[in-house]
Amino acid sequence: MGIKTFKGGYRFKRFKGQAKAGMIPFDVPSRVIIPLHQGFGTPLAPIVNVGDQVKAGQIIAEDGSSISSPIHATISGKVTSIEKKNYFKREINFVAIQGDGSKDIARLEGYNSDWSKLDTRKVEELLYKSGVTSLERSGIPTSFKSSVVAPSDITNIMVHGMESEVYNTSLEVLLTGRNLEKFVDGIRILKRVMPNARAMVVLNKSHGSLISKTRKLAKSIGGFSVIKTVSKYPQGYDEVLIPTILGKQFPYGYSAANMGIIVLSVQAVVQAYEAVAEGMPVIERTVALCGPSFKENIHVKIRVGTPLETVLKNRLKNSPARVILNSLMTGTELKDLMLPIDRTYSQIIAIPENADREFLAFLRPGLRADSYTTTFLSTYLRTCKIADTNIYGEQRACIQCGYCISVCPVRIIPTHINRLAKISINEALLRYGVFKCIDCNLCSYVCPSKIPLSKNIKDAKSKLTEAGCDHSLCHAPKYDLKGIDEYRGLKGTR
Amino acid sequence: MKFLKKILDKQCDFVKRSPRLKKFFPVLEATDNFFFGPHETTSGAPHIVDHMDIKRFMTCVVIALLPSTIAGIYFYGLKVLAIILVSYAAGGIVEVIFAVVRRKQIHEGFLVTGLIFPLVLPPTIPLWMVAIGSAFGVFFGKEVFGGTGRNIFNPALVGRVFLSVAFPNYFATMWQKPMIGGLSGFVRYTTDAVTSATPLIDFKMSHLMTDLHSLIFGLSAGSIGETFRIGVILGGLFLIFTKIVDWRTPVTFIATVAIFALIGNHYAPNTFADPLFQIMTGGLLFGAFFMATDPVTSPLTFGGKWFYGIMLGILTVLIRALSGFVEGVMFSILLMNAIAPLIDSLVLGARYRKVKA
Repeated sequence: MGIKTFKGGYRFKRFKGQAKAGMIPFDVPSRVIIPLHQGFGTPLAPIVNVGDQVKAGQIIAEDGSSISSPIHATISGKVTSIEKKNYFKREINFVAIQGDGSKDIARLEGYNSDWSKLDTRKVEELLYKSGVTSLERSGIPTSFKSSVVAPSDITNIMVHGMESEVYNTSLEVLLTGRNLEKFVDGIRILKRVMPNARAMVVLNKSHGSLISKTRKLAKSIGGFSVIKTVSKYPQGYDEVLIPTILGKQFPYGYSAANMGIIVLSVQAVVQAYEAVAEGMPVIERTVALCGPSFKENIHVKIRVGTPLETVLKNRLKNSPARVILNSLMTGTELKDLMLPIDRTYSQIIAIPENADREFLAFLRPGLRADSYTTTFLSTYLRTCKIADTNIYGEQRACIQCGYCISVCPVRIIPTHINRLAKISINEALLRYGVFKCIDCNLCSYVCPSKIPLSKNIKDAKSKLTEAGCDHSLCHAPKYDLKGIDEYRGLKGTR
Repeated sequence: MKFLKKILDKQCDFVKRSPRLKKFFPVLEATDNFFFGPHETTSGAPHIVDHMDIKRFMTCVVIALLPSTIAGIYFYGLKVLAIILVSYAAGGIVEVIFAVVRRKQIHEGFLVTGLIFPLVLPPTIPLWMVAIGSAFGVFFGKEVFGGTGRNIFNPALVGRVFLSVAFPNYFATMWQKPMIGGLSGFVRYTTDAVTSATPLIDFKMSHLMTDLHSLIFGLSAGSIGETFRIGVILGGLFLIFTKIVDWRTPVTFIATVAIFALIGNHYAPNTFADPLFQIMTGGLLFGAFFMATDPVTSPLTFGGKWFYGIMLGILTVLIRALSGFVEGVMFSILLMNAIAPLIDSLVLGARYRKVKA
């Protein structure tokens, strides 16, 4: 099968500070704070009280009536406080646990290393109880109300290891040794839960040996196909991935689950296997520490709830740095280092804050510079690039260079929409597809005039939505969507 | 460098505080920005941005123009250097006045306009005319529309059209053969050669064909920057290769000229020159690579760029063959500049259907 790709997009190449292969297990922290809203689902209320003794792996929040998945204690110890805090713009309950130092983890009941002997209902229960079902953008459907759709509605399971961001969790780390078998079995487990689904694994084409290994397994065990893609940003987005691989139009404003497709990351599939075959709840995450501001770029396995401060301590260089969650292009800046790691973390990125004024900046050869154009030496000498926060130029009027049009993955005209948004012509905004925008921020990235295009488009969208003009309502009848009512107003953590 | 930074910082502070000098802050700010990069950092996502900016963008175009400029000096003497300086000065003054009056930043787009304008002038042009043309072009071609990014017409072409209408004899008969051999133009102020006709005039008047060799290497008469065609081609390829300009416009422009001229030449060989001659004469290559590709005045959409290029090609060949003018590039680009927004809105209208409320 050939390589599938899409029009537009941009490849981030050779950025310094990719996390190296190899993983360091992190010590069990002495104290954790666990947000009761992680991944997909509604925020939960705790079912433990202050002063209770809990074991690592014990469920501390669960709600069978709303769309959600349970959340576990991640270390053994005593609940010291339960309080509400602002967490990614929402008021969320936090359970703080003081650890007693034990490393044991309470396994889920009824797991079986020979998972094929379990009945489907039990597999679903294990997936739900482990919390795996809350991972990813629209959850994994089970009969336990963990997603907006029913398992039988799912026609496609897509697992992606695209590495299309600037910094990625390495596939080599996630799929070494045993993990590859776990991964393959994880897919079979998920297929068992969703009997009508076709499974496919989408991998970045640069992983030649991994692809051929996975293909071999796919052939001998069966059950899924392997598809190669180019690691162009934002290939990992559902809105880009599904049209590229399946050739279906995406109903912008809804989730992939509404189309009957679930998109999963490699880590989620491995964790699904561990839940069913090893009884392991989701209390640990493999997180890549990327970016030039880290002393060492490594992968660490961290308990959920570990405060960021504990993770970053002694790992950052002395110079001022900006710590960003998951993605340099779309991620949130992590300003409050007292906040914990949660289930959705896969990368923590630290890049230097650079406010230095360079002499004759526009004439520099650019050995470390990344650019859409090929005017910098880094393109020709294939040198490593350093990411920092300088804006590299003054804001100017749009000169219609057309870079934003060439990179836009959803084929809209960012600069035109920006212009319309300024004078706010709502009808025209709708016509030129303002709601197609998937907030990948690539237009802001490439703009030589440094116009905050994506921010302006985002503002225009929220203004339109506030005015009651929700585009998703208009085009919903065109698609055969499931569970839209449940999906409305319910989205992932961020 | 630190010394310069200190001076500039001090001056900036001083000018900002003084109520009278405050108006001139844009000038100082432009100088400051020219020497030192920005100190702002990104606010929110995306946390990193492309290292390209408008200054570098315009600098790249200037670099692409260098072969033609140096060849121009070599062929026509140091007077070309004086023409360039006058053009920068006259246009620059208009730019600064507007920045001061409007309290806006000085835009880097002028870096290119100030250099392209002299390159499309005949070498015999007097300096005062250059000053008028440059100031006129910047004023009526750009500033009255609201500055770079909002102009409809290419300012350099507006200046040239103005001069060619106001002083037609300089653009009809005052062409000169270039100097060659030794250091020629690098050590002399002007060429003392007698006026000579351009290859296009030769063809129109007496159906004379100039040989390809002298066309490529610039041994025939023409505007200062357009005759050294190998340099123009190299500069154009540089721009396309570095993604500064889009390949669609120049490629469709030149291809259309070739196809259309081939058809015309087949039926009326005395009116339509053959394709290669058409492409290699006049300002066609220079116009295709440097003027038609001006991002501000050409269509934004890719579909629009195709149409723009094709129309440019057809218009150029038509004007050259059937009108009273010998050269059609300038007029066809200006004409298409005028309808570029229309092309865009047609393309957008066809691509994005109306939404039913």
